[in-house]
Amino acid sequence: MQNNNSSENTLSPDRRVLVIGGGVGGIRAALDLAESRRDVLLIDKAYAIGGLMTQLDRTFPTNNCDLCTVSPYLSQGARERHLEIKPMTTLTRLEGEAGAFTATLVTEPRYIDTDKCTACGECAKLFPDAVRVTPGLDPRAPTCMRYPQATPFAFSIDITKVADMAALKKVCRADAIRDDDTRRESVVDVASVVLSVGADLFDPAVLDNFGGGKFDNVVTGLEYERIMSASGPFQGNLVRKSDGRRPKKVAWIQCVGSRGINKGDVPYCSGVCCMYALKEAMVTRERFGDDIDTTIFFMDMRTYGKDYELYFNRARDEYKIRMIRSRPHSVVENSATQNLSITYALEDKPVQETEEFDMVVLSTGFRVGEDAKNLAGVLGIDCNQYDFAATHPFNPVLTSKPGVYVCGVSESPKDIPETMVQASAAAAMAVTDLPVVPVDLQTEDLFAPERDVRGQDPRIGVFVCDCGFEIGGIVKVDKLLADVCANTDVAVAKAVGYGCSSESMAAIETMIQENHLNRVVIGGCSPRTHETKFQDLLRRVGLNKYLVEIVNLRDQTTWTHMNEPEKAQAKAARLLQAGIAGVRKNRPLIDHTLPMSQNALVVGGGVTGMTSALTLADQGIKTYIVERAPALGGLARSLRKTIEGEDVGAFVQDLVQQVTAHGNIQVLTRSIIVDHSGMPGLFTTGIQTGVRMNYMQIDHGVTILATGALAGRPAQYGLGTHTNIMTQLEMDSMLEDEADKIQAMEQVVMIQCVGSREKENPNCSRICCQAAMKNALRIKEISPDTQIFVLYRDMRTYGFQEEYYRKARDLGVKFIRFSLDQRPEVVEADGSLSVTTHDFILGCDIEIAADCVVLSTGLIADDETTEDLALLFHLPRTIDHYFLEDHVKLRPVDMAQRGFFLAGTAHSPRTIRESITQARAAAGRAQTMLAKKEINLGACVAKVDDKKCASCLICVRACPFDVPFINAEGVSQIDADKCHGCGVCAGECPAKAIQLLAYEDDQILAKLDGLFER
Amino acid sequence: MITAEQKPIPEIIQYIAPYGKILLVGCNECVTVCAAGGRKEVGLLASALHLNSMKQGKTIDIKEITLERQCDPEYVEELTPYIDGVDAVVSMACGCGVQTIAGRYKKTPVFPAVNTRFMGASLGQGVWAERCKGCGDCVLGITGGICPVARCSKHLFNGPCGGTSNGQCEIDPDVDCAWRLIWERLKELGMEDRYEDLMNAKDWRPGGAGGPGKIIREDLA
Amino acid sequence: MENFEPEIVAFCCHYCAYTAADMAGSKRISYPSNVKIIRVPCTGKVDAIHLMKALEKGADGVYVAGCLAGDCHFKNGNVRAEARVNRVKKILTELGWEPERVAMVNMSAGMGEYFAQTAREFTETIRKLGPGPGKFAGTNDKAAS
Repeated sequence: MQNNNSSENTLSPDRRVLVIGGGVGGIRAALDLAESRRDVLLIDKAYAIGGLMTQLDRTFPTNNCDLCTVSPYLSQGARERHLEIKPMTTLTRLEGEAGAFTATLVTEPRYIDTDKCTACGECAKLFPDAVRVTPGLDPRAPTCMRYPQATPFAFSIDITKVADMAALKKVCRADAIRDDDTRRESVVDVASVVLSVGADLFDPAVLDNFGGGKFDNVVTGLEYERIMSASGPFQGNLVRKSDGRRPKKVAWIQCVGSRGINKGDVPYCSGVCCMYALKEAMVTRERFGDDIDTTIFFMDMRTYGKDYELYFNRARDEYKIRMIRSRPHSVVENSATQNLSITYALEDKPVQETEEFDMVVLSTGFRVGEDAKNLAGVLGIDCNQYDFAATHPFNPVLTSKPGVYVCGVSESPKDIPETMVQASAAAAMAVTDLPVVPVDLQTEDLFAPERDVRGQDPRIGVFVCDCGFEIGGIVKVDKLLADVCANTDVAVAKAVGYGCSSESMAAIETMIQENHLNRVVIGGCSPRTHETKFQDLLRRVGLNKYLVEIVNLRDQTTWTHMNEPEKAQAKAARLLQAGIAGVRKNRPLIDHTLPMSQNALVVGGGVTGMTSALTLADQGIKTYIVERAPALGGLARSLRKTIEGEDVGAFVQDLVQQVTAHGNIQVLTRSIIVDHSGMPGLFTTGIQTGVRMNYMQIDHGVTILATGALAGRPAQYGLGTHTNIMTQLEMDSMLEDEADKIQAMEQVVMIQCVGSREKENPNCSRICCQAAMKNALRIKEISPDTQIFVLYRDMRTYGFQEEYYRKARDLGVKFIRFSLDQRPEVVEADGSLSVTTHDFILGCDIEIAADCVVLSTGLIADDETTEDLALLFHLPRTIDHYFLEDHVKLRPVDMAQRGFFLAGTAHSPRTIRESITQARAAAGRAQTMLAKKEINLGACVAKVDDKKCASCLICVRACPFDVPFINAEGVSQIDADKCHGCGVCAGECPAKAIQLLAYEDDQILAKLDGLFER
Repeated sequence: MITAEQKPIPEIIQYIAPYGKILLVGCNECVTVCAAGGRKEVGLLASALHLNSMKQGKTIDIKEITLERQCDPEYVEELTPYIDGVDAVVSMACGCGVQTIAGRYKKTPVFPAVNTRFMGASLGQGVWAERCKGCGDCVLGITGGICPVARCSKHLFNGPCGGTSNGQCEIDPDVDCAWRLIWERLKELGMEDRYEDLMNAKDWRPGGAGGPGKIIREDLA
Repeated sequence: MENFEPEIVAFCCHYCAYTAADMAGSKRISYPSNVKIIRVPCTGKVDAIHLMKALEKGADGVYVAGCLAGDCHFKNGNVRAEARVNRVKKILTELGWEPERVAMVNMSAGMGEYFAQTAREFTETIRKLGPGPGKFAGTNDKAAS
């Protein structure tokens, strides 16, 4: 069940997409394609897919354990029928053109049949040298599987180290060892290629000043993650390599190997290190005690992502992580204690400081590795000067070669959410090289027929996931299992490690079958995230999916009571008992389905909305764009040039033309949404359109929110009081239209973070640092003698934007830092302007005469619009009024309300390039939903017992959706395909004639019994 | 439909204080529709009685059952298997139901849990209003379909009393004056002249004044 | 009753309160472990009997946590739930039990901190009230079935 071998897959070779790289981006792209019913071949050079994310201990900004957040995706990967996974495989040749490539692949011998290997580990025990247990990049942990949820879950053999093949074969009871396995070359036809091989991490050993690779207690960020990880070399104990002691003082040094000009450095910013250092420091204090002193040495704190500034504030204010703005000079080891001295300079002090730490973490960033460089050559794509795949600002996932798309760190340094977005975007683009799928494609049934369990006495299996540290580190799983065995109908009670891993899922399946279980209780993560997964597991073993109860032992128990393990234990035991009592009453149920509308509604006609609409319309999906303004274009209409120098106006004009001419797109300008009803897949939205405000209704299956944001214009620094005090957006226009005015300027002062990162608007606007660099460079181009001063708090020119920052410095733009408590003042005297600010290096206030003051005002959420739509559509928003996506990390463009997708600056501030990517991603995600063709209404619907019904009409009147009616038989009838499953009628029925399936009264009362059983 | 509402719980508690085993009987007709004594209310009352005995550190054994109709002996017969095992019966039906049970099981005390209020109609979710007094001699045919017996506080027959003010009743200003309603309705029907018809003194005997009513249908009986 | 640890049941709707409770977890915001959650699709599903039965079976306090007013995924389930909570409060008052033992709270899916806060506040309220009906039951456990 775990692996797709060639005999069972139904891939049609002329319609597939080759995804190269099985990291989180490649997996997302492959899954999006497979969910859209497109055939995918996913290859990875490693023994197991998963990539870098599986090495991380936790991920920001949720600080969740990655294994459990990514692993559902991995084993989803093993399941999908449209997806074939080939590990240990590389691309060696690509010929042909988009739509008709011929790819030559080479698969290295594994010497183990992955279909037979159960990963029992016997071979590894006897022949530890020859058997690769995929230890990943942590050589100190040879006995550790690379990660416990590996897909495929199998070992591999290093044939060069095998001395006695016969003996090795003998230990394998599964007969999985294949000594005749060879390196195989295969040729496949593919329509398009998605490149997602990521990048390597910088090896700090090449630097001679920080002791990386030299001192035991200097580790990289990733090594630190491995040390903290429950599946890492120290089983999640934070200890020093030199003496096994827990460090009391840990320091992080940022930008190691990044943003540098010295030997071994790269000039770009790696984009993720500030956040991961903050995360590691926060987790350190959370998990290993407040008494561990944590210090971060940084140059600029780059927390530019959505709500990342709040994360930074929390790290500093709540977790008391010490932040020192300095790039340390060196790290020296004390040979007696193996402690480490960091020497650094502070901007306001003339002398250097030296401080001793127990452990130093080097925040290293991304480097394109040799393999990736070679692959770019094989693919025949252009790369930028740092060997990342080059893309165009207005087509950010397309490489220089048509039909070859790129996502994730292969394109530029980025974090997981951005990678997920780009992956979905690349998948949506890769589809365009395939023929459009016929609409009448049948839904597939992947599962075996169901076993009838009615009338059987319950035989319950209780499986508790220890989730590494997350559950097993807080409560004693053994004790929980011993407790549940007091129930005579519990036939099996077992701990299952990471319950959601392929291995554990397979083990649970076996135990269900061997023990003839007919009810299952899973103690683990929240049912919100994991119920579907385990329901699918039941379906695979022929049990109805409603015969499982998920007990929330993590999100609602160990995570919330981590400091009171005994109480957590008691609560976990109670909840499990409630789950067992509940599952006894569960009944097999049938899901109801309806055909899905194949139309899409895009709200907002800016660049994002138009891009989403075009992506959908090209796939044959009828798309409506509803735009409030009289014309399409949005905020981009007031923007002239991108930082790369591209002409925004021409681009927008072209987009508008394409959209207007497209047969599948209907544009409704001057239109507002006034009502909304229906369910995911079958929405009806009412709009008033045109100057006469005519009312019309749109039927649609999906909705993309692309309502944008507003240009900020806070009344700060005299904005609006003087013609020479302007925003970056106004400067952008002036640079195009009034170059003579620029040439007349002697001094220009730019002030950053205006109206952002303040109490009223705590987040970073993300776009302003690059906007300031863009305009500064253009000023310098027009008028090289104009002096430019940029007053900033942190320069956040992430990724390749750093280049422009460096160029500005090279051209003599002066950067002066300010802080919120000593903010600059703009003074007007006799019509002329000057700016006073504190100079931390000089240690005094300085005054700068300014011909022009340019304020970086950033973006603010369109509160009024998002509020109206949030009410109409029942959608959540962030505290700063942007729409809130379902999962910041794993579902960054999906909304919690199914059928809604989010893109562009309605999500958070971002550049045009980033908005386009997100627009394509949202369109891609919408397609995955539309591809299902039918709506699963679930089984949770109200059911009337005719015999009990008194025809009182109370349900008819109480239903929020007017579903029940009194039928010809004189009793209430509730149609399953109309019922929304809220249960209001069941809660109101005076005859107790209505039950809400899956939440019947006896099930709820049984859970209460379980909670209070003594 | 007969409209009832639950008695204050303390009153019910007082009735059953001496008893340890209770049969709590609901009715799936009128009292279910007016949400006073159906299966759900039986459950709630049972639970309330449990909570009460818990307060006193006692236990109470309650058997819950809801009959299709408590005013029919055949349905009431369903209680027979339980009746010997209980000390008392609490009925959530209207008075008719209570008496049917009391008539069938002579040795077991029966207590009412609801007050039967009136014959009423539903005005919407959770709202019922009195519409019929069961006077035994219906006059709706001449009063425009609005009953002066049920809806005039004084049961007047020939126009309103002097107390009506702004069309509302002097007994309760929230109540519409029935005679105002009758007048408006007749006007709408173009039957204003009927208003002038005088009614004779009403014979109250069919409605109960002549002793307990009884109907015998000889073709059925 | 020096060390009285109240037992509390929270009926949480899937879309808001249950999600908020998960959110509290992912932010590692702690709240008293006394609170045990039963998930329902909508608080409109929570019958007055469920609240009564919870008290009967041993809960010292029960609350229903639904979406914010006007924000119910099912339009008005939370309003129905509140009405039922009020009904149970009335019954409890009639019985001489404290009406504060049942409560309705409202929150959105993102309000993890507020979920924890209400859990703390409700637990404190019940702690002050002392043991609930179930604790007086003595050998009465069977009556609950």
